[in-house]
Amino acid sequence: AMAGPLEPHLEALRRELDPAVLSVLLALLAVAITLLIWRFVQGRRSSRKAVLLLGLCDAGKTLLFARLLTGKYRDTQTSITDSSAVYRVSNDKSANVTLIDLPGHESLRLQFLERFKAAARAIVFVVDSVAFQREVKDVAEFLYQVLVDSTVLKNAPALLIACNKQDVTMAKSAKLIQQQLEKELNTLRVTRSAAPTSLDATGGPAQLGKKGKDFDFSQLPMKVEFVECSARGSKGEEGDADFEGLEKWLAKIA
Amino acid sequence: FAVLFLQVGFQKILTLTYVDKLIDDVHKEFRDKYRNEFQQKGTLGLLNGTFDFKDDFMRLLRDAEESSKVRAPTVMKTFEQSLKSQKTVKCMIETRGEKPKEKIKNKKNKSSKKEGIEAVAAPGKASAGDKQPPAAGDKEELTKDEILQKNREEFFKRHMKSGEKSSKSPKPDAHKEKGKKPRVWDLGNSNAKVLDYSNSATNGSAEACPVEEFDPDMALGDRNREPGRLYDLEYESDDEAEEEKVVQNPSKPSAKKGGLGGMFGMLKGLVGSKSLTREDMDPVLEKMKDHLIAKNVAAEIAVQLCESVAKKLEGKVMGTFTTVTSTVKQALQEALVQILQPQRRVDVLRDVMDAQRHRRPYVVTFCGVNGVGKSTNLAKISFWLIENGFSVLIAACDTFRAGAVEQLRTHTRRLNALHPPESHGGRTMVQLYEKGYGKDAAGIAMEAISYARNQGFDVVLVDTAGRMQDNAPLMTALAKLIAVNAPDLVLFVGEALVGNEAVDQLVKFNKALADHSMAQTPRLIDGIVLTKFDTIDDKVGAAISMTYITSKPIVFVGTGQTYCDLRSLNAKAVVAALMKA
Repeated sequence: AMAGPLEPHLEALRRELDPAVLSVLLALLAVAITLLIWRFVQGRRSSRKAVLLLGLCDAGKTLLFARLLTGKYRDTQTSITDSSAVYRVSNDKSANVTLIDLPGHESLRLQFLERFKAAARAIVFVVDSVAFQREVKDVAEFLYQVLVDSTVLKNAPALLIACNKQDVTMAKSAKLIQQQLEKELNTLRVTRSAAPTSLDATGGPAQLGKKGKDFDFSQLPMKVEFVECSARGSKGEEGDADFEGLEKWLAKIA
Repeated sequence: FAVLFLQVGFQKILTLTYVDKLIDDVHKEFRDKYRNEFQQKGTLGLLNGTFDFKDDFMRLLRDAEESSKVRAPTVMKTFEQSLKSQKTVKCMIETRGEKPKEKIKNKKNKSSKKEGIEAVAAPGKASAGDKQPPAAGDKEELTKDEILQKNREEFFKRHMKSGEKSSKSPKPDAHKEKGKKPRVWDLGNSNAKVLDYSNSATNGSAEACPVEEFDPDMALGDRNREPGRLYDLEYESDDEAEEEKVVQNPSKPSAKKGGLGGMFGMLKGLVGSKSLTREDMDPVLEKMKDHLIAKNVAAEIAVQLCESVAKKLEGKVMGTFTTVTSTVKQALQEALVQILQPQRRVDVLRDVMDAQRHRRPYVVTFCGVNGVGKSTNLAKISFWLIENGFSVLIAACDTFRAGAVEQLRTHTRRLNALHPPESHGGRTMVQLYEKGYGKDAAGIAMEAISYARNQGFDVVLVDTAGRMQDNAPLMTALAKLIAVNAPDLVLFVGEALVGNEAVDQLVKFNKALADHSMAQTPRLIDGIVLTKFDTIDDKVGAAISMTYITSKPIVFVGTGQTYCDLRSLNAKAVVAALMKA
C-alpha cells in the first residue's frame, strides 16, 4: 500500500535518470552516512579517555606511572615532557585507559595542563605526604588552578588525590591532608577573587564551592576521593608498590 | 624523541673544545642503538628497556679527549732554535765590532740578553756609540753597574722621540764607573735660583706677553658659515644606509628563490608530512620578528625569542594541512604565553595574611626610573588593600623630588576620606610616615617599619625616588635601602611605553641590587608593576620584554589615574593583542 503512491514517482525517477548515475549517487550517500557514523563514534570514544597524573615536582608521578604500567621500580629524573601509555585495568573488565604523566615543574605544568585538559576523563593529583607541611601553599595553589579551569569545570572529571610516599614514617595521613587543603583553598578563593580584575575582564575567576560556607571538597561538581599510596612500596625497590586504592579507583572509572 | 643532556660544569670555566662534538656523537650513537625500542614500543619500551650505555659513553668520551689532545698548544721556541741566532753575524753588523761580542755575551750572561736582543733589533739607533766603551776590547762579563747603566740608557732611549739623537754621548761611559758619584736629585740640594722658572714679564703686564699665534681657522672652524646662524644637528647616515643596502642585497635574491620554492613548499606542506628545516622557517621568523618589534618588544628580546622558537621547531614533522606559518605562529604564541605566565604567582593578599598571623607588617618597596608612576600606583595599591580590610602605612622615602611628600599626603587624605575610620572599627586605615626632605631614605624606611610594627599596621608601602639606572650612587643608595630593610616584596615599576630601554633598566637594577647586597642570596626584583597601560593600544610588547628579562611576574597593571584603575595581567589577552596583525 505504501509502495503504491510512491511507484509513479519511482517510475518517473527511473525514467529520467541513468541507472549508472543513480547507483553512483546511492553509493555516495552510503559513504557519507558511514563517514558520519564513524566520526561520531570516534569522537565519542577518543574524546575523554585519558587519566592525567598531576602534582608538584618530586611528588612521585613518574614512579607511579612506571609502577602502574610495568610493576618495576625505576630511577626517575624530573620530567620535562609528558609520557603516555595505555594501561590495562587490573580487574577483568578488560577496559583500558591512557595514563598521561605530566611534568610538575612550575614553568611547564600549566602549559601541559592546557594541552591535555580537554582529553581528561579523570585526574590523579599526586601529593607528597612527607613534604606536605612545607609545601601546602604551593599544593593548594596548583590544585586551585586546576579546579577553576573552565574546561575542567565543564567536564568535571573524577578527581583522586593520591597521598604518596606513605612508606616514610613522617608521612601525613590522607585525612589531615584533606583538612589542610580545604582550609588553604578556603583562603585562596577569597584572595584570588579579591585580586584586581584582569584586563579584558571576561568575568572574574570562577567561584569555587559555595559562597558563605567554608570550602569543602564535597561542594565541587566532580567526585573527589582521597587515597593513600606508596609508589616505592614498603619493601623497598624489589617489592611491589602499595597502591591498591589507586588501582581500584582506576578500575572504577575506566 | 629528544635526548636530554645533564651538563654539570660551566662552559666558560672549563673550555673543553670537544664538548659539542661529544654531545653530537653520543646523540647519534644512542639513537642508532636504541632506535628500535623507541619507534616500535613507545613509552613502554622506554620503561622496560635496559639502556646499557655507560661503556659506549666512556668510549666516546675517551675518543673525544684524545682528539683534542692532539692539537696541543705549541711551545715557544727558545732563542737558540729561532732563526735569528742562526743568521750569520756578518749580515747583522752595522756598526763596528760590538755585535759579535754582544752575541757572545748573550750566551754567557743572562741579564744582558735583553739588551742583546734590543741591540740586534735596533741596529740603526745612534746608541751604538754608547755600547762601545763597555766592550772595550775584552770579552769579560760586564759588571753589575755597567749592566744597570746600560739598561737605564736603553730605558731612556726608548722613551725619547725617534728623531732625537741626544743619547749620543761622546765621552766613553767608562768614566762614570770609576768611584761612587753623589746622586743629584732634581729637587733637592739646589738653590732657589735654579728653581726659579718664573718669567719676569708675566702676571699682569699685557704688552710683555708675547702675542699668541692666533690661528683663526682653528678657532672658528668652518670659515664659510654665516655669522649668527644656528645650524641643525647633522649626523652621518651614509654608513647606515650602506650597511642596509649591503644587507638587503643578499636577502633579495634569497627572497626571490624563496618565492618560487615557497609556493611549491606550501603545496607540499599541505599534503604530506614534511619536517621543518631552518630555511623554511627563516622568512616566517623574520616577519614575526619585525612584527614583534613593531609591537614594541625590545629588539634583542624579539631576536632571542625567534631563535628559541626556531631551535624548538627544527626537525619537527608538520601534520597535514598545516603551513609553516601557522606552525611557527602557534609555537611563538605558546612561547609568549609561557613567558607571561609566571613560575610562581605573587599573591599579595595571601602573603599579607601570613604576615598578619606572625604579627609583623608586610613591606613592599617600589623602585623604578623617573616618572613611571610609582607614587600614583602606590596610592592605587593602598586603596585596593584598604578595600580588602588591611591597614596601610605609607613611608615617604622619596626625599629628593619637590612635592613628593605633599603628593603622598594628599593621597592619604583622600583615601581616609573614602574609607573613614568609623567604617573600619575606629582605626585609621592609611597613614603617612614622612620625615621631610633631604634625609636618608634607608633610615626613614627602617623607622617606618618599626613604627608600623608598634602601631599594628598590616602593610608598609615604601615609596622611593626615581633614579636612572646609570646613576651609580643612586643605585647604591637604593640597593642599600633594600638590603638593610629586607622588604617582603620588591616591585619594579615600569611604564608600558618603554621600548628597548626596558631591558637596560631591568638588567641594571637587578645588577645593582645583587652587587651591593651582603647576603648569600641577594634580594632581587620580585615583581613588576606595568603602568600607563591605557596609553598603548595593542603595542603591549613591553610586558614581554620585562618578564623575559627578569622571569618574574607582572603583579599589577596600571590603566589610569584613578584609584580603581588597577588590574592584573591576563596573559592570553596580551598575547592575542600581540599576535594580532
